[in-house]
Amino acid sequence: MATIEELKAYGANTEAALSRLMGNETFYLALVPRIFEDKNFEVLSSAIAEGDLDKAFDAAHSLKGVLGNLELTPILQPMIEITELLRHRENVDYSPYLEEIFRQKEALEKIFEG
Amino acid sequence: MTNTVASLFKNGKRTILVADDEFINRAILSEMLQDEYDIITAENGEEAYDIIQSHSKTLSLILLDLIMPKMGGLELLSVIKNRNEYSGIPVIVLTTDQESEVVSLNTGASDFIPKPYPRQSVVKARIHRAIELSEDRQIISDTQNDVITGLYTGEYFYEYAEAYDKYHPDTDMDAVILGISNYNVLLERYGKEKCIQLLSMLANELRKQYLNEIAILCHKEMDLFFIYCHHTADHDEKLQEISHSIDCVISGVKLKMGIYKQVDKNLELRNRFVRARMAYNKLQDNYVNEVSVFDDEILKKILFEEQLCADFKTAISEEQFVVYFQPKFDITGNEPVIAGAEALVRWCHPELEMISPGLFIPLFESNGLIYELDDYVWHKTAAAIKDWRGRFDKKIPVSVNISRAEMYDPNLANRLINIVEENGIEISDLHLEITESAYVSDSSMIIDRVNNLRSKGFFIEMDDFGSGYSSLNMIGELPIDALKLDMLFIRSAFKNQNMKMLDIVIDIADCLEVPAIAEGVETEEQYLKLKESGCELIQGYYFSKPLPGDEFEGFLR
Repeated sequence: MATIEELKAYGANTEAALSRLMGNETFYLALVPRIFEDKNFEVLSSAIAEGDLDKAFDAAHSLKGVLGNLELTPILQPMIEITELLRHRENVDYSPYLEEIFRQKEALEKIFEG
Repeated sequence: MTNTVASLFKNGKRTILVADDEFINRAILSEMLQDEYDIITAENGEEAYDIIQSHSKTLSLILLDLIMPKMGGLELLSVIKNRNEYSGIPVIVLTTDQESEVVSLNTGASDFIPKPYPRQSVVKARIHRAIELSEDRQIISDTQNDVITGLYTGEYFYEYAEAYDKYHPDTDMDAVILGISNYNVLLERYGKEKCIQLLSMLANELRKQYLNEIAILCHKEMDLFFIYCHHTADHDEKLQEISHSIDCVISGVKLKMGIYKQVDKNLELRNRFVRARMAYNKLQDNYVNEVSVFDDEILKKILFEEQLCADFKTAISEEQFVVYFQPKFDITGNEPVIAGAEALVRWCHPELEMISPGLFIPLFESNGLIYELDDYVWHKTAAAIKDWRGRFDKKIPVSVNISRAEMYDPNLANRLINIVEENGIEISDLHLEITESAYVSDSSMIIDRVNNLRSKGFFIEMDDFGSGYSSLNMIGELPIDALKLDMLFIRSAFKNQNMKMLDIVIDIADCLEVPAIAEGVETEEQYLKLKESGCELIQGYYFSKPLPGDEFEGFLR
């Protein structure tokens, strides 16, 4: 079972997140793993692969909101960057951002698996 | 109409719809709000719309994510705001970027909450404020518009009319009151539902007719509508059109209209409608006219009546009311002989000089001052009889008028007996004139009361006979001691040379075995004809006009 300390060590701004969640640590720890079920991660990567930047933007934008609410900074940061690029439908190589996002997501999953 | 505010509470909690495709976002908002609100959640735009449709009466607020599958937040927002039944529900948009905030507000969102969400207290404060504003607006809309007609209710009507004046100070405006004649009777006859249909139809027609006049319309009371509009000369035509249109709901409904044209804007708004009502009130009991326009004559009359009422107490205490006496002559012998008198009141007003009783008696009858005035006149009359008894040999009875309103006083006989006793005269000295129309209005009660007066010994003269439409059937049962022929009846009989009717009326008196008294006799011709027909007593200018007591004494010497 993951702890607040582990999330903090991971890089999450747990203080801000807990302040949003009325200090309810159990609730926070229950919510975080729900992002692993979020289909928008898959939508984001497949839409970029297909070149559907509109769809990719919507997915990134949604994820940015969720990650922001949970203050998961390591994934949130690259997500903010990719969202801004997608917003302007920039024709750039998105793979470094995607790699970073999925790498950080896996790191987080490990905390919860451990 | 959207939700009434009362319908928004379920178990004391308001309901909020959270529409966001992200589970985590829904969970956070639910956690933040569930202690104060019932939360319903939706995962996409379509689901949210279904919930809005099925819960439209109970939703207090929608928290709406902009980017959702199936139907996006902005699209849903636009649908909600364009549907009358949902447009009153406030929507707060949940958004991560500022660009969408402006679009959302322009589409009809009340506010926005940024992502990541602020602290619980901030979220709650914004929600609380949005709900409060929306409910306040709803309460205003519920109370400003009448449920039946959708027109303004009274207080709001005045507010809007005043606001209109403020921005159009130089526009000529009319204040108009439109009412339905005998609405209570229609209610009894056709029932509530039909009458509501009538009111609602009338309101629609009013809207149509006054479309071009920039009118502010109000359903003021059950059967009364107020209209404040640009001046027009066409009120009559509009009334005809409206009358015609509502005829399909209830046929033959009569509408009346009181108009105060080109209002004086120095007057308070309410007072402008007081003037329209003065004009309107002139139509009461008037079955011919449908429209009455306020003018200075109406105002003068009302101000005059107000002054009379205000001056009444002083007039009594300063004895401005003077009792005059008009003699009645017995014409059965060769020479007319004085046989009685009628006491008639005059008001010697210090500023208005002599006021005719025709101007103040009906007024005092309507507001109840008549009781005090009658007491005063009866006292003065009894005192005069007493005084004459001591000084003259001739003993004649004097009649006083008992107004219709007096007939409803159960203590009437005692009041009269007290006056007789206080002045030391006989009951037979004081005759009572009761107008024929009093018998007609509430006949069995009045007949009982008159019987009671007669049993105490009072002599009853039926006044104004021929004007009150007594049925012949009824006359036989009436407790009376004399028939007094209506002055106008006599006048028209002579004018039209229709002596037959006069003969019939005198025959009726004969048949009842009571004397006929003719009043208003002005010429020798009238006198001779009445004598020939068998009329026993005559009163009128031919012999003498009503005189002050000291002058009247000449007849007693």
